Amino acid sequence: MSIKNVLLVRIGEIWLKGENRNFFVKALARRIKKAIENTGATLEVNQGRMFVRNIQDMDEIIAKVTKVFGVHSVSPVVQCEKDVQAIYDTAIEMMTPMTGTFKVIARRADKRFPMNSTMLNEEIGHEVLVHCPQMKVDVHSPDHELNVEVRENVYLYVEKIPAVGGMPVGTNGKAMLLLSGGIDSPVAGYMIAKRGVQLNAIHYHSFPFTSEQAKQKVVDLARMLAEYAGPIRLYVVPFTELQQELYEKCPDSQLTILMRRYMMRIANEVAKKANCSALITGESIGQVASQTMDGLVCSNAVCDMPVFRPLIGFDKSDIMDVAVKIGTYETSILPYEDCCTIFTPKHPQTKPKVETLLESEKLIDGDGLVQRAIEGIEIINIMP
Amino acid sequence: MIYLDNSATTKPCKEAVEAMNRTLSEDFFNPSAIYAPAMQAGKIMEDARQAIAKALGSSDLHVLFTSGGTEGDNIALLGTARLLRGKGHFITTKVEHPAILETAAELERLGHEVTYIGVDKYGVVNVDELVAAVKENTALVSVMQVNNEVGAVMPIAEISRRVKEKNPKTLIHVDGVQGFLRVPLNMKKEGVDLYSLSGHKIHGPKGIGALVMGKTVRVSNINFGGGQEYGLRNGTENVPGIAGLGAAVKAYQKRENPYEHMMECKIALRDGLKEAIPEIIINGEIPGAPHILNVTFPVKGEVLLHALEGKGVMCSTGSACASHKKSASHVLTAMGISDSEIDGALRFSLCPDNTVEEMREVVRIAKENVEVLKKFVRR
Repeated sequence: MSIKNVLLVRIGEIWLKGENRNFFVKALARRIKKAIENTGATLEVNQGRMFVRNIQDMDEIIAKVTKVFGVHSVSPVVQCEKDVQAIYDTAIEMMTPMTGTFKVIARRADKRFPMNSTMLNEEIGHEVLVHCPQMKVDVHSPDHELNVEVRENVYLYVEKIPAVGGMPVGTNGKAMLLLSGGIDSPVAGYMIAKRGVQLNAIHYHSFPFTSEQAKQKVVDLARMLAEYAGPIRLYVVPFTELQQELYEKCPDSQLTILMRRYMMRIANEVAKKANCSALITGESIGQVASQTMDGLVCSNAVCDMPVFRPLIGFDKSDIMDVAVKIGTYETSILPYEDCCTIFTPKHPQTKPKVETLLESEKLIDGDGLVQRAIEGIEIINIMP
Repeated sequence: MIYLDNSATTKPCKEAVEAMNRTLSEDFFNPSAIYAPAMQAGKIMEDARQAIAKALGSSDLHVLFTSGGTEGDNIALLGTARLLRGKGHFITTKVEHPAILETAAELERLGHEVTYIGVDKYGVVNVDELVAAVKENTALVSVMQVNNEVGAVMPIAEISRRVKEKNPKTLIHVDGVQGFLRVPLNMKKEGVDLYSLSGHKIHGPKGIGALVMGKTVRVSNINFGGGQEYGLRNGTENVPGIAGLGAAVKAYQKRENPYEHMMECKIALRDGLKEAIPEIIINGEIPGAPHILNVTFPVKGEVLLHALEGKGVMCSTGSACASHKKSASHVLTAMGISDSEIDGALRFSLCPDNTVEEMREVVRIAKENVEVLKKFVRR
């Protein structure tokens, strides 16, 4: 009995790269090696193909590898000797438990092998038909595609499991994600990391108005993101004093947008120190009062680096679908006190103007408060 | 740390830890085995049974070990229902723990009838209403001894006497999880047929409890297996848990006047808070149980809880079991307390190790934090 203990890893978009393809392939290999660390499995890179070998628990390895950005799909493969009879036997063994229609897709990378791909297709198809009478051939829309690749060894596989796609993390710089604990921000972080961007994250903690549990929830979400994005440095900013000052001294209807501006200011400063080139938020136009067009303009005005808002045109339900898919949804909806509830005005301004906000900000010692908040930051290194 | 969440769980006493250690490392045998060393395990169990029975006023009781209060409640209610021919009637209160309320809901799903009796503004069950609900087919009345959220002490003796006058066949079950040892109860004198208790609320281990029954009381088993615990709780006995529970019961009884001491602390806390923060409202009967004080503060309870936590004072909003749910406390609601008052409610629950000095410290910390937080309520 041949056992599937090799995983074929297909790379996606980075295959399209030209001269610097090697840079991307190496980065991807690093990420895959990191993902399968401590499982005993090893990675082999061979002529644009990647194979994971020495696999003990195939399900575990598939779960880990399909989460690596840059991987297009994977297939558990059966390896056999470069011998015609061995190929037939293996093909028959693989197709015996199946029903329905099939076709054979053979590829001959090793041109020294005596049969070309057309001959292989025909002969293997014939052998399978003879030994598996329950199967029929359908070359146009088969239920199963039996792939046979003749290389330094022969690899056979039927299953093709889609992976996340995207680009290897670390090939596109570093950005700071504003991570709140809600549904949106983890999704936003996921989407940017998927384009090869390394993540840092920043969270605003308002103890005792928010609890240790709320902070733990953010740590848990960051860990889930780290499974895709690799290690994440999480900055936890003490935000209570700033919120209290705003509450006591500034107009009620502006509280949310003012708070938002200070969050962006702090993120902007911390991001610079951490060598990040951009900020990432989970904002979506019109979702809440501070995310109206005017609100976004006002919070954007305090930043001097690009702010990426990958969810800007998403409906809430679309965002929730992605959150479910990447596994953060259940944690995001845990009911711990959100940082905003007590300090949320009943009637927040939906059309704030930068000039009026600047006037309100003169009422507090903004620079001093921002400075103290940054000095009080707790850094948590999140490992996948 | 000042730990005032003893109704959620207590710190195991050293006697319990030692007894468990011994049964885990030395007397580890299965009590059902028939060689001599295993008999020690059996002796430890009998010893714990006796300690519990005596603590409830008579050595002439069956003590059936369970995994805790919840399982005892389940066996009492479902086990009674399973013996009935046809559909029966059950009575309980609106302020029970979910271990009773959810089991009662299951009885209803099985086709039985359940009447839920309300409480007065102190959380004490309306006895007249309860007695009036008793019918010819009332199989069992289940009333908690002490309410877990507000510390109301239910008049068990009166309930039992009046229910039995009306229907002598009706069984009386008491959920004693929050009452056991802290509020003395004599099962025979007070006419209690079934009594559930839990180990970890009296400085014993978690995962152990008991259902104590009069010797003539019959219930059916609700799980199936090797016939342990009179056939009512099948599965190998949790000997370390039982040893810890027995040791905890004995250790508690050796304490000097725990009731009076806790009551002194509770009154010091109540009076201190009242003086320091005049706007507070005490939720529940005064004096009530000696170890539970429920207070509504003029700020959001959850925020104050975390502020107190930041100063090393641990307490809870509502009951710990229910406080991860976001709905308002069903107990305070049944007492007619408004949602906004429930929002500011905190429960302080004491044990005999707490001191009056600690209460003064809590008052000081609470006053300080309430003054700050009062400025930050949602406008």
